[in-house]
Amino acid sequence: MSTVLQSLSAELADAVQSAGRAVVAIHARRRIPATGVHWRPGAVVATNHTISRDENITVTLSDGITVPASLAGRDPSTDLAVLKLAGQSLPTASLRADTPPRVGELVIALGRPGPSVTASWGVMSRVDGPWRTWQGAEIDSLLRLDLAIYDGFSGGPLIDGGGRVLGINTSALARGVPVTIPVATVERVVTELLERGTIRRAYLGIGTQPVRVPKSLARKLELTLDTALLIVSVEPGGPADRDGLLLGDVLLELDGAAVSDSADVLAKLGGDRVGRPLTARVIRGGQVKTLQVTPGERPQSQAA
Amino acid sequence: MTTPVAGGLAQELAATVDELRRMTVQVRTGGAASGAGVLWSAGGSENGGLIITNAHVVRGNQATIELSDGTAVRARVVAHDRKRDLAALDFEPYRAMVAAVVRGSPRLRVGELVIAIGHPGGLVGAATLGIIHAVESEGEGRTPRWIRADMRLAPGFSGGPLADTTGRLVGVNTMMQGGLALAVPAAAVEAWVRRAHALAAP
Repeated sequence: MSTVLQSLSAELADAVQSAGRAVVAIHARRRIPATGVHWRPGAVVATNHTISRDENITVTLSDGITVPASLAGRDPSTDLAVLKLAGQSLPTASLRADTPPRVGELVIALGRPGPSVTASWGVMSRVDGPWRTWQGAEIDSLLRLDLAIYDGFSGGPLIDGGGRVLGINTSALARGVPVTIPVATVERVVTELLERGTIRRAYLGIGTQPVRVPKSLARKLELTLDTALLIVSVEPGGPADRDGLLLGDVLLELDGAAVSDSADVLAKLGGDRVGRPLTARVIRGGQVKTLQVTPGERPQSQAA
Repeated sequence: MTTPVAGGLAQELAATVDELRRMTVQVRTGGAASGAGVLWSAGGSENGGLIITNAHVVRGNQATIELSDGTAVRARVVAHDRKRDLAALDFEPYRAMVAAVVRGSPRLRVGELVIAIGHPGGLVGAATLGIIHAVESEGEGRTPRWIRADMRLAPGFSGGPLADTTGRLVGVNTMMQGGLALAVPAAAVEAWVRRAHALAAP
């Protein structure tokens, strides 16, 4: 006779076992290996910060066999990287893309920092809407965990009680606090990295700082907002410089939307904006001026 | 729709914890409570009862054991192994008692629920729940050195039982390392007890 407690125990172990088959160890840094997930046939998702070299990468599969892997691409802004494996019959992860996790839901984090799979358990502590990483990437939803993290946790999957993957865990996006990158975001990044090897992001080449617009000026210029962005740096030869934005301009609107912090600017700079002009409204010399600026493609090393 | 199970789960957990408390003792040396112990064997007509705990829990060759019903008995250290961090103590059973049942099979699985009983900060018979974090790959006939559990144990849990959801003993809680609870596997304790007995026999 099996009690509820025993069934729960067996189901947790079953979830670990079935999901664990798609969890691999990645040897791409010194000391302990990192974890990765066999996401699509021949493509393994890992975290960018745990892959410290671009070559001589090997992957240990769940059956204990170690095979060479090549780096398909990395995206520091989401801390994701994709590796390619040749001719493997390893099962891929079963993804839960339809129902988002709920606060309080029982979850398990898996790792493989060596030959065997490891697990820690806890609950979802926060489930929220989209957020932006410090490097400007949009993550479809904020998933925070109440569970202990151990060495080799980053790059591993967060799974539900049925062994389905809810996302990829990383400790590098929120000052060491564990977060899970949801399936939708991982899917998007994997597709783009496999196609292009890099994530295209538009950029203007400006540095900004929020400022209050004086009431008298706002009244005079008939503005409804009270905060705007002072341009405090302009990259020489960058897209903004080329299109005539000046140091000291106060940016009010971009593409018809008011901007009051740098996230508002980043929101207008998706990969599809490269080479497509945006309308910028600025205060210059006490007057409102409208300009056209065409974002360029952000160089890989550039953060914003 | 799913059937509500949380209530049943809580009751079953409480029942298993009650069962485990009966085979968990307090070990006192030099007057102060220093840790927990497992009632390994309840003794018989010829043999005394046997308590297993950590070597770091007992100092000297005598200890006072406080059983789950509050009775204190004198116990003598019959084996002490600093390296394995295990100690065995024998005592005169004063009544019939139920000793721990070791889980021989099946093998432990990663993700399986485990329960630890101990006396953190003088709180007698406290319980905590976790899962198996890692299972070391087993060599031919070799038992793994440690069981690693995803649970946080305070010092008072040392020497106490780590058990599965059926209440069978899987290990003796020994220390925390890197945020994980480490326990000596019950099979390793069994082998150690056999060896210690063989050495003690004339």
